[in-house]
Amino acid sequence: MSLTIDRGIVGQEFDHTVFEPVTREQILEYTAAYGETNPLYTDEEAAAHGPYGGLVAPPTFVVRLRGRHFMPRQLPAELGRSGFDAGKDIELHEPVRPGDVLTASTVVHDLYDKTGRSGRMVFLVFRTTVTNQRQESVATIDQKMMFRS
Amino acid sequence: MILDLHCHSDKSEDSRAPLETYLKWLQRKRELLPIDGLVLTEHRQWDPAADYRRLEDEYGILILRGAEVETDYGHVLLYGVNDDMTRRFDFADVHLSAQEVVTEVARMGGIAAPCHPGRPTIGLCEHYASRPPIEGVVAVEALNGGSRRGENERVRAVIDEYGYGAFGGSDAHLVSLIGICATELDDEIGDVEELVEALRHPETYRPVDFRERVRAARG
Repeated sequence: MSLTIDRGIVGQEFDHTVFEPVTREQILEYTAAYGETNPLYTDEEAAAHGPYGGLVAPPTFVVRLRGRHFMPRQLPAELGRSGFDAGKDIELHEPVRPGDVLTASTVVHDLYDKTGRSGRMVFLVFRTTVTNQRQESVATIDQKMMFRS
Repeated sequence: MILDLHCHSDKSEDSRAPLETYLKWLQRKRELLPIDGLVLTEHRQWDPAADYRRLEDEYGILILRGAEVETDYGHVLLYGVNDDMTRRFDFADVHLSAQEVVTEVARMGGIAAPCHPGRPTIGLCEHYASRPPIEGVVAVEALNGGSRRGENERVRAVIDEYGYGAFGGSDAHLVSLIGICATELDDEIGDVEELVEALRHPETYRPVDFRERVRAARG
């Protein structure tokens, strides 16, 4: 069966969120939640002597950012409604520091299909670009959603 | 000469393996995996500008390129890809006609060979159970390093019935899986044209399986 997916949403921005300033407490809570022991992320005094000259958030901190819209409002009807998380690629740039004001902009980066043992799968890739108040790039996150159709 | 005829670098969306890391791995594992070269068969794409000669020279490993496309009889490896083929077929289309791919690729100077034929849904065997065979198939990937238990074994019956040539490939998507299955060719292969010519003569190649050797080395 051949289905043609409408790729018209590729390139569309569907979320743009400016977050409250990152706090020291958020970083420490985040690291405590998964048992991080690296002093760069957990110990302000030790971190002050480290390569960043102060406490920074661990690399995966950016994944906790949640914008206002998780999905585009208009999805191609062919996708159905049974999507699930199919993984993330995260490219890290500048570190996140307490006081940083992060902005996340998310676009539909790609839409493609493939076939596997279990049949046809359609992948929707959202690309979130995270920047700080100095307009420095903090991270690029490609989030894949997989749909059965 | 031993070539891994089926592998994916990080140019394929489901692989995290940089080509150069494959080469470093093969260089380090030379005694365990005597692979002389590999064919990158990226999923649903063809990059006409890709050029790996520097890496070939640096690592002394032949690097050829093909593609893996998706058809109504499952996935098919293409060797000898050229501009005629990329104009004729949209490699990103997951509903290509296998018969058209096999016929047209041969006419355009290449060879199209079904891969992991024993795999459900995307392997030849399942489709042959309910539909006529594809005409013009010369060889199939009889040994695939990504196959699950029983999938490679299913291929034997199809090879025996239709007289297909049999080759092997790792189908590696991860560095540590490169070269675990491959093809031993009687001819020396220096470029993709020579590979295509060799694959047209099934009596001159055979799959080789290094998986047990790798498992034993891991202990």
